Amino acid sequence: MASVMTISKEKRQAKAVSTVIYIFLILLAVIYIVPLLWVLITSLKDDSTLMLSPWAMPAQIEWGNYEFAWTKGHLGTAMLNSLIVCSVTLVVSMFFGAMAAFAIAKLRWKLSKLTMYYFLIGMMIPIHTILIPLFVQFSGWGMSNTLIGIIIPYITFSLPITIYIMVGFFEGIPNELFEAACIDGCSVYKMFGTVAIPLAKTGFMVTGLMSFVSNWNELLLAMVFISDETKKTLPVSLTKFVGPYHTNYCQMFAAIMIAIVPTIIAYVAFANQIVEGLTAGAVKG
Amino acid sequence: MDKLMRNKKAILLFIAPALILFTAVLFVPVCKAIYYSFCNYKLPGTAKFLGLDNMFKNYKQLLLKDQTMRMAFRNSMFFMIFSIVTQLVFGLFLAALLTNIKKGRNFFKNIYYLPCVLSSAALGLLWMFVFTPRLGINNMLASFGKWGGDCTLGPQWLFNTEGYIILPIWVVSFVALWQYVGQSMMLYMAQISGISSDVYEASYIDGCNKRQAFFHITLPLIKPMVATAMSLNAIGSLKFFDLIYNMIPEGFLSHKADVIATHLYTSAFKFRKLGYGSAIGVILLILCLIMTVLINKFVKTENYE
Repeated sequence: MASVMTISKEKRQAKAVSTVIYIFLILLAVIYIVPLLWVLITSLKDDSTLMLSPWAMPAQIEWGNYEFAWTKGHLGTAMLNSLIVCSVTLVVSMFFGAMAAFAIAKLRWKLSKLTMYYFLIGMMIPIHTILIPLFVQFSGWGMSNTLIGIIIPYITFSLPITIYIMVGFFEGIPNELFEAACIDGCSVYKMFGTVAIPLAKTGFMVTGLMSFVSNWNELLLAMVFISDETKKTLPVSLTKFVGPYHTNYCQMFAAIMIAIVPTIIAYVAFANQIVEGLTAGAVKG
Repeated sequence: MDKLMRNKKAILLFIAPALILFTAVLFVPVCKAIYYSFCNYKLPGTAKFLGLDNMFKNYKQLLLKDQTMRMAFRNSMFFMIFSIVTQLVFGLFLAALLTNIKKGRNFFKNIYYLPCVLSSAALGLLWMFVFTPRLGINNMLASFGKWGGDCTLGPQWLFNTEGYIILPIWVVSFVALWQYVGQSMMLYMAQISGISSDVYEASYIDGCNKRQAFFHITLPLIKPMVATAMSLNAIGSLKFFDLIYNMIPEGFLSHKADVIATHLYTSAFKFRKLGYGSAIGVILLILCLIMTVLINKFVKTENYE
C-alpha cells in the first residue's frame, strides 16, 4: 500500500515537472515567434500609425510598403542576384569539392593527407583577413562590382567544409564497389560519376545546405565588393533601409519580410532535413 | 584496380580545380594580407614596405595607441566570453530539456533553430527597431503604464554609452544569443541522443536520479562536443559583424560599440587605410587560431568514443 502511494506521488511530481518544462518551452517559443509575427504585422501598416500605436493591428492593409521595397528598394533585383550567386556557388563548389574529396578519399597518392590538412586550415581563416587583398586584386582585374567577383570567394570559402564532409562520405563507400566497377571496365572518371556521386547523396545535401544558407546571408564581402545598385545581393540591399536621419520603418519591415520569407517557407517545408543536415555539417566541421 | 587508382593524370585532374582556387583565393591573399600589414598602404596609392626597422608600425599603432582598437578588442573579448558561456549553459539546458520531453520535441527544436538560418542582416534591423527608445519595447512597456506612460524615460538601449561594457553591446550579445543558441542546442542534442540508454538504465538501477545522471553521465560523455561547440562559438563571435553593423548605425556612438570586424571595415573601407586594416585582419586571424588551439587543448582532453 505504502509503495503504491509513493509511486503515485512520484508520478504526480513527474507530471508537475513536465508541466513546468512545457510552460518554459512555450514561453521561449513565444520569444522566437512573436518578433517575426510582429514584423509581418508592422510591414502592413503605414509609418504614422506605427508611431502612434506600434502594437496595434493594421487598420487598413498597406501593400504599398512591399511594392516600394521590391521596386524602389531594389529588393527584386537583389533577390535575383542572391539567387544567381548562391546557385552558381552551390553547383561549382559541390562539384569541385566532390572531385577533390574523391581524390583525397579514394585515389592513392602520397600527398593526399597533407592536401587534406591544407584544406582544413582554410576553415579557420576568417573572411575578414583576406578581404583587403582580394578587394585590391579584384579591382585590379576589373572584377569588383561584378557578381562573378563575389561568386569566386564564396566558392572558395565553401570548399574546405565541402571537401571535409565529402571525404567522410566517400570513405564510407566500401572499396569492393569500386573494384566491381573496375572489373566491369569502368574508368576512374566513370567510377566517380556513377558510383561515388550517387552513393554520397546525403553528403551533397548537407554541404549544399551549409553553403547555400551561409552565402545567402553573407553581408560583409558582398558589401565591400559591390557598390552598383543593380548588382547588390539581398543582405546588402537591406542595410540601405536604415538612414541616420530618417527611416521609414514600415517599408524597412516589408523589406525584412521579403528577405526572410523565402527562407522561412523553405525551412517550414523541410525543417527536419535542414536542421539535421546543418547539424551534421557542423558536427563534422 | 590499384593501377587505376594511382592514375596520376586523374588525380591531378580531380584535385587541381579546388587546389588552384583555394591557393589563389585564400592562401595567397592571406600571405598578401600579412605583407600589407607591414606596409604603408593608403588609397589612393600603392603598398609601400615600411622598412625593416619600422615594419611593426601598424601593429604598434594598433595595439598601443589606437583607442578605437582598444574598445573594439574589449567588446570583442566580452562578446566572445559572453557567447561561449551563455551558449554553453543555455544550449545544454535546452538540449537536456528537449531530450527529456516526449511530445513536441521536433516542434520546439525547429522553432529554436529557425533564426540560425535567417539573415542576421534582416534580424539585426528588426532588433534595432525593437530597441529604438521611442518605439519598440519602451513604447510597449509605456503603454502598460511603466514610467507613467512616457516611453522616453525608459532605458536608452542602443544609445547608452556609460559603463565599462556599454549597454548596446549587452543588447547585441543577447540578440546573438537568441539567434544562435539553437545551433549549440542542436549540437548537444545530436551528441546526447548518441548515448546508449543502457548507461542511463544502469544508473537508475543504482539509485541515480535524473539530475545526477545529467551531471555524471551526460556531461562527461558529451565533452568532445562541448569543445566543438565552444570553438564554433569563439570563432563565430570573433568574426561577428552583421548584427553590430545593422543594429548600431555607423558613427552614432563614436566607435564605442565597435568590434574588431567593424573596426577593420571602417579603417579599410571608410578611411581607406588598407595596410592598417590588414594588420587588424592578421590580428583577428591569430586570435581565431589561438582560441581554436586553446579550446581543443583544454576541453577535448579525453575522448570516450
